[in-house]
Amino acid sequence: MARPRLRLVGGVCAGFAEHTGIPLPAVRLVTVLLSLCGGFGVLLYIWLWATVPSAERQVVADPLPKLSLARSGVASFLAAPGTTGPTSPAAPTSRADAASARAAPVTEILLGLALLAAGSALVASRLGADIPLAVVVPAIVVLAGTALAWHQFADIRSGAAQQSSALVARILAALLLVAVGILLFFVTGTNPNAWTVILAAASVLLGVAVVTAPWLLRLWSDLADERTARAREAERADIAAHLHDSVLQTLALIQQKAGPHSDAARLARAQERELREWLFTGTRGGSGEPATDLGAALRRIAGEIEEDFAVHFEVVTVGAGVGSGVNPNDAEAPEALVAAAREAMLNAARHAGGAVSVYLETGARGVELSITDRGPGFLLDQIPADRLGVRESILGRMRRAGGNAAVRPGPGGTGTEILLTVPAAATVPSPGTTSTDQHHSETSVQ
Amino acid sequence: MTTPDLSDNGERAQSPAAPPASAGFAALSVLIVDDHSIFRSGLRAELDDDINVLGEAATVDAAILQVIALQPRVVLLDVHLPGGRGGGGAEVIREAAPLAARTLFLALSVSDAADDVVNVIRAGARGYITKSASGAEVSDAARRVAEGDAVFSPRLAGFVLDAFGAVAGETAETTEELDRLSARETEVMRLIARGYSYKEVSSTLFIAVKTVETHVSSVLRKLQLSSRHELTAWALERKLL
Repeated sequence: MARPRLRLVGGVCAGFAEHTGIPLPAVRLVTVLLSLCGGFGVLLYIWLWATVPSAERQVVADPLPKLSLARSGVASFLAAPGTTGPTSPAAPTSRADAASARAAPVTEILLGLALLAAGSALVASRLGADIPLAVVVPAIVVLAGTALAWHQFADIRSGAAQQSSALVARILAALLLVAVGILLFFVTGTNPNAWTVILAAASVLLGVAVVTAPWLLRLWSDLADERTARAREAERADIAAHLHDSVLQTLALIQQKAGPHSDAARLARAQERELREWLFTGTRGGSGEPATDLGAALRRIAGEIEEDFAVHFEVVTVGAGVGSGVNPNDAEAPEALVAAAREAMLNAARHAGGAVSVYLETGARGVELSITDRGPGFLLDQIPADRLGVRESILGRMRRAGGNAAVRPGPGGTGTEILLTVPAAATVPSPGTTSTDQHHSETSVQ
Repeated sequence: MTTPDLSDNGERAQSPAAPPASAGFAALSVLIVDDHSIFRSGLRAELDDDINVLGEAATVDAAILQVIALQPRVVLLDVHLPGGRGGGGAEVIREAAPLAARTLFLALSVSDAADDVVNVIRAGARGYITKSASGAEVSDAARRVAEGDAVFSPRLAGFVLDAFGAVAGETAETTEELDRLSARETEVMRLIARGYSYKEVSSTLFIAVKTVETHVSSVLRKLQLSSRHELTAWALERKLL
């Protein structure tokens, strides 16, 4: 059972209704009736309020992808009953909606009660009635203090960022109001004696305890939540360490033993990559977020190609903020770059194989990507005009994206090096950007 | 794993720079340190014939004792090792290097994480290669380390470029500057990151292979001695991977 974020007071009735499938209005009616029976309903409500966790925190509490089963369980659990109550249909909506909608009007109700009491007291005294001011004034003060305290706690719980000093000051003011109000009951009462003083002190303590209780409870359960989260994280780290030590080592060994061109090595490499990805995304906390940066895209492409060809890509990425951030105004450039890079890598896999280096550098000058293989090399001029692979997919694509592509012989005259560059400002071909040898450009001597 | 004590890193990180002349083409003595027996025996079988495996060790403590007792020329050292104070390969280097003056360390790892690599390099390893390298590649790397070279994988070169802000255009003005790479060192690193061999770097930049080696060694020295905050952060923020 969980209390939904969308709630009238505490969300207890709604949570109970969802849990049992009983219509929400019926639950509320029974609660009100029980409350009339000597306040039993109120006590039950408060008890459930304190003990039943809030729905949203339950969902947030499990960051692990492998627990997505449990999470979807919670979600469907929230969504399934679809009860008739005014609050429940919206339960699985986005957190922002729920947060804004859940704001319980308790503060307003309490303040309203205080004002109402003050107003009716005034009117009554005007009409000449004998108003027990000794009771009314403290009551108003207590109500106002409680309202203020409630307001603060609601802020704390909803996680609204606030200056802690101001928060503390306001909470203290609220507590002071409550305390003074309760004291006033007794001090202004008739013929004070020792017992009234003791009673007053006890009442103040009780009042403060009641006002701060929800906050303390929340604090305590937050702590417990955090502890479970940390335990889960530690467990995950354990698993990761174990996988790292055993499985990755074994996969490395298989690759080493099997030779770079065998199927076994290819499979082992694919598995290693998958496992590594899982380990990395898990510990970096970025679970579920699709990798959009250029380096990740290249690694993914490398993985896909390695599955089909006897090739091993060594992808090295250098430079901060690798991704579309280089060209914020021109979202097309990275896309074209990725597409051209894929074509170039495919070419290398198809015609050269073996070890292929992919080097990506993102700097102030722009993006520079080189794909180097140790294959037989090729001459662009000798490729028939109808073979569009290199000419269109790489050279043309890069040119249209405002970048540049060059095909030249690899280091030491063996193999092929394809160099793709996108200057920092793709529209302005700055003179100093691609000092990296365009003089070999576009033809290859072998 | 705990955070290793790096406070005295500066002094101990310095490896013996000049190898004795005897370590030429004679049988090269190595010690294999890895906690997986399969890997150890696999590597042992794969290594070239002219490499003489003196022994194997599986834990930090055993590795330290073995290094001191056997005094191998090169230690093929796994970055992640159980035992000791949890410092892994870096701890082995820190503890054993002062008592084995002739010994050089070559780090082997399945990990690509920057902090792992930087940590073990800063502890004093003369090179870093991944475990998926073939036996011939490992043998070659061990030989190069024994000859006093630094062995950089393309990935390590990439880390170095990142760590020294070389891509952002920071270059050192003088050779004494430890926190930045010189323009030439940046060029060399860039080509190594592209997968070029030293020979290919030398022919591309029109410099001698020996000059390339000098540049790489000087980069390694900077990597070990620099106090650049990225490096320190990497070394300190020792996480799982």
